[in-house]
Amino acid sequence: MTSPSAPPSCPHLAAHRLSSRPLRFLRRCLRVRPLGRPEIRRDAREVPRCSPCPSSSQPPSRLYACLTCAAVFCPSHAASHAASASSPGHQIAVDVDRAELFCSACGDQVYDPDFDHAVVLAQSTALHPPSTSTSGSPAPRKRRRVDYHAWAPDPAESALVSAAADPTTSASASEPAGLRGLNNLGNTCFMNSVLQALLHAPPLRNYFLGDRHNRFLCPRRTPMTHRATDAEARAACLACDLDEIYSATFSGERTPYSPAKFLYSWWQHATNLASYEQQDAHEFLISILDHIHENIKDDQPKSHEQGHGDCCIAHRVFSGILRSDVICTNCGFSSTTFEPCMDFSLDLDAGCNISHGVANPKARNGERNLAGINSKVSTLMRCLERFTRAERLDAEQKFFCERCKERQESLKQMSIRRLPLVSCFHIKRFEHSSVKKMSRKVDHSLQFPFSLDMAPYLSSSILRSRYGNRIFPSEAIDSEPVSELSSEFEIFAVITHSGKLDAGHYVTYLRLNNQWYRCDDAWVTRVDEHTVRTSQAYMLFYVQKTLYYKACERGAEV
Amino acid sequence: MSSSIDAPVSPRSQLALSCFDELLDIAVADVASECHRIARLGLDRSVDAEEEELRAWAARVAGDHPGAEDGGATRGSGGGGGNKGAPDVFGQTHPAIAADILHCMNCGRPVVAGRFAPHLEKCMGKGRKARPKTTRSSTAGRNRNSNGNRASSYSPYSEHSNH
Repeated sequence: MTSPSAPPSCPHLAAHRLSSRPLRFLRRCLRVRPLGRPEIRRDAREVPRCSPCPSSSQPPSRLYACLTCAAVFCPSHAASHAASASSPGHQIAVDVDRAELFCSACGDQVYDPDFDHAVVLAQSTALHPPSTSTSGSPAPRKRRRVDYHAWAPDPAESALVSAAADPTTSASASEPAGLRGLNNLGNTCFMNSVLQALLHAPPLRNYFLGDRHNRFLCPRRTPMTHRATDAEARAACLACDLDEIYSATFSGERTPYSPAKFLYSWWQHATNLASYEQQDAHEFLISILDHIHENIKDDQPKSHEQGHGDCCIAHRVFSGILRSDVICTNCGFSSTTFEPCMDFSLDLDAGCNISHGVANPKARNGERNLAGINSKVSTLMRCLERFTRAERLDAEQKFFCERCKERQESLKQMSIRRLPLVSCFHIKRFEHSSVKKMSRKVDHSLQFPFSLDMAPYLSSSILRSRYGNRIFPSEAIDSEPVSELSSEFEIFAVITHSGKLDAGHYVTYLRLNNQWYRCDDAWVTRVDEHTVRTSQAYMLFYVQKTLYYKACERGAEV
Repeated sequence: MSSSIDAPVSPRSQLALSCFDELLDIAVADVASECHRIARLGLDRSVDAEEEELRAWAARVAGDHPGAEDGGATRGSGGGGGNKGAPDVFGQTHPAIAADILHCMNCGRPVVAGRFAPHLEKCMGKGRKARPKTTRSSTAGRNRNSNGNRASSYSPYSEHSNH
């Protein structure tokens, strides 16, 4: 979804723009209600009425004011007014309750950028966008530039590059590099599944394979000595251990690898999670990203505010920024906060379980009923829509509105201010109810696309829709700089969970060179798309499309 | 839009009904206007593609028998799915419990990979089933350790707590 663009004007609108005076008079009449639609009223207490309509008839749902003579009509009388008017130019009218332009001659709603711009200005001045946001909002700044250094490979490097570029010389020419099983060390499939996803996250893979964290030079390297008396006093470095796993899996060796040292290091850090028990894969991911941050954040000379991503590779890859708006339902004043996030935890919509084959005839408002079967299917996009939906906060949680100076009921809306390089979606399949004292797993299937455009969930899009999807440059309402990065993502890994809540199994599906592979601990097999699409996704990993390398098409070799 | 009920209604009810009708009409017109704008300004380009994917996906899933997932769904985490006997993509086969021998980073003993985690748990003294770690004070003065030579006067892990 790109920013809205005006369709070409109908001839009547084009003629009107040329001939009549600009929309100044309309601007005076634009009245904006908080949370409501902008209205056209000459006078604040005016009640528009269609004069030709008999007074006994039901009031029409739409009333149009002719732009030329300001007479108000219902749609049918507006059409006859346009046709019968002696002087030309009475075809364009404006919906007085919705501030939308209407061409009576075409009988259709039409759109004009200048008109929309005027409406947006009226809305933004009326609602006084907050000039202060709470601490934590990043100040707009120029991106830091790095000095350019020329580089050319020396003969040894050239030889190395050309040797490695020939796929026939690698250990197993037919399969992509880095594909290697991971041994289950005893209930560690949660760890293996996350490691497989990380191993093939392009920016993370490039960082470690590009020697950006060298485990032989790191001051914190994990002690290898046996019975190290100070083993726990000296903190292990998870980044070093991850570096070792990258080296092992991309070495060309294909027998399964045992990530024992990584487990040992992680247990030294995450003492509360260290036990021979099935763990939650999502919890594990957050834990190791956090500990990697702790380990290597001091390597950077300057640490910027959290979320900017300069502190460590974990944040550089996974950290995005969420925007949270709380809007007073009384006066429309909104208060904005920003918070960094390493992943997106999404509630699973209660769609009907498709495998039962029962057609659910009741379609939700606004959705077309697709043959009755998938009208309530859970999809990733619907989960994201729900995530960015404006929700009314409980009446008990009244928010103190600075403009009203009292507690009011409010709406809360989340949106994504900045997308990370890798978006990890965590589908909340495990419900824990402290009331019922039980936990259960939600087994509904989830449809997810392989290519995802996150544009509708960005703050710019959410704000735009809050202003009625008007056509205007984004600077008109928001001083945030437009994101330079694209919003298109490609999927590269899916972690699925099968089985029960406490006795289940994690498996990772990887997409390499346009082929899907199933990584089930030590067993790596090829699977087709269908298997992946119908699997029960628990965590989904998408990378920015610009970082996703399409398969280098080798000639038919396999 | 008048009421379709045949029985005569009181004037008050009629007023309420016509009020409701008017509100309903306005709500419908609101939605129509919004959707018209979204469609005309091209803000819904992804919707058609999404619906197509959804249709195709629903057809696929309906074709499967319920609960199907490649390789068996409900086995515990130790064993795994049903295709574990077959060779993997590199033509290798593996036992259900990984048989590689690793050396524990904590105690140095050789451990079978598939049982490394439970060993490490006891070895590091973590988890519920581990015996309490012997502290410095309890082993102070002990002169036994696995290497046989007299090292420091304390050792955090005594001999018998290892697996």
